[in-house]
Amino acid sequence: MPRTLLDIFGNPFIATGVGIGAVMTVLSINVLFCIWFERKVSAWIQRRLGPMEVGPQGTLQTVADMVKLLGKQLLTPAGIDKPLYHLAPLIIFAPVVASASLLPFSKSVALSDLNIGLILVFMFGGFAVVGIFMAGWGSNNKYALLGAMRSVAQNISYEVPLLLSALSVVLMVGAQGGGQIEIGDEVIQLNGLNLSHITLAQTSGLWFIVFQPIAAVIFFIAILAETNRAPFDLPEAESELIAGFHTEYSGMRFGLFFFGEYSNMFIGAMLATVLFLGGWDGPLLPGPVWFFFKSYLLIFVMMWVRWTFPRLRFDQLMAFCWAVLTPLAIVNILVTAFALKVVNG
Amino acid sequence: MIAAGLVMLISVAGAVVAVSVKNIVHAIFGLGIALGGLALAFLLLSTPFVAAMQVLIYIGGITIAMIFAVMLSSTGKHEPGEGARRRVLAGIVSIVFFIAMAWVVVGSDFGPLMELAPEDMESAWSVQAIGRALLNDFNVAFELLSVVLLVAIVGAISIASRHDEGEDPAINEEGGA
Repeated sequence: MPRTLLDIFGNPFIATGVGIGAVMTVLSINVLFCIWFERKVSAWIQRRLGPMEVGPQGTLQTVADMVKLLGKQLLTPAGIDKPLYHLAPLIIFAPVVASASLLPFSKSVALSDLNIGLILVFMFGGFAVVGIFMAGWGSNNKYALLGAMRSVAQNISYEVPLLLSALSVVLMVGAQGGGQIEIGDEVIQLNGLNLSHITLAQTSGLWFIVFQPIAAVIFFIAILAETNRAPFDLPEAESELIAGFHTEYSGMRFGLFFFGEYSNMFIGAMLATVLFLGGWDGPLLPGPVWFFFKSYLLIFVMMWVRWTFPRLRFDQLMAFCWAVLTPLAIVNILVTAFALKVVNG
Repeated sequence: MIAAGLVMLISVAGAVVAVSVKNIVHAIFGLGIALGGLALAFLLLSTPFVAAMQVLIYIGGITIAMIFAVMLSSTGKHEPGEGARRRVLAGIVSIVFFIAMAWVVVGSDFGPLMELAPEDMESAWSVQAIGRALLNDFNVAFELLSVVLLVAIVGAISIASRHDEGEDPAINEEGGA
């Protein structure tokens, strides 16, 4: 079992401080990297070079952009709903940090190890919807409000297939080897909602993507929709809504939304890695290397999808969720439960 | 004690915002704060699963659903204040409801749960324990609740599709969403 920060430091306040510091550092580096990577991937796909000027291969371009954003004036539009407008970036930003601290990236050390980790990640994801709505409503701008309404409708709809496909993995963990696993001389009672137990269940056998390919595909599509990535980026469709819910935010406030968005992408990729790709499991290289390699592979696929598929229309988006993904996920759960019952007796 | 007081303060403050402000969107977010305070209370009682569900369902679901209802039914501007007669009636209803709830809670026998040490509380309210209780001891109540929800969904669909022969086809196009 991974040692948590609390085991290492003994003091909850020191452990929390160190944890927040570590998560913020990793998330900041991730955002700097992902923005550069997104621009490079889009450039490669469109046979361009992408950013080349700042640093070798343009690697420092995002740092330069960040400095520019920090120096920009914070414009506050007239007629805004003040408390909601100012709270929104924080409501989006804070849960991202909390849910990033829940993911087990290594066999030996974890920031936290909770019995309901999976539920907590989804719970913190739910805050994003509230934050997006606050931003859209508070901005006193019709495009922002339209984007926010689209985003909220899309997010709460795709949460259904997301949870259902994750649930079939939870079922698998509970049934793995009679719900128990031996590590060294220790017998651990597996708990399907504990993220490090989900990984442990896969280290002894095959990864869950082998048993649950349909759930894995549904989960990945739902993650794309939850993070408002193309082809589900209707909430911020530039050509029709300018930038959706964050149209009226400038400078570093806009930067916080961007930070939240790329961090959510990272968290979604890490969660998919834990649920379907065996987490830290892999030969030769140390666990964290495998974990982050798989996560960034998924992020690359997300970017690849963005530059390959055109944006859906809103009714297509909703019909796809309620008429295709949700029934498929429900059937998948039923088949999984039935098969597990037959196999395990 | 301080933590419990703080949690109560948050919940009550949110509830006061929910019923007192004129701006209906602010009222809904006030309700969200009150519900979040309740989640903190569950956390203090060592029941993290119930707390997580409280946030997932009430803040992530119910609050957002209320916002949708408000957006679809009115302009979002505040409604004219109610008359004194309605206020008095609402007050009476609330007080009667509060007394009834308090009576039920004080009169209930929580049995072995009351003797549990705080460290055992978490396993007593674990996902497994709640799941077993729902599907064994309280199975009938659980199924009845799902029937209620099913009826609510069917009712909502029938109300929404009544516009079919209506004079405003524009509403219909949004019906699927």
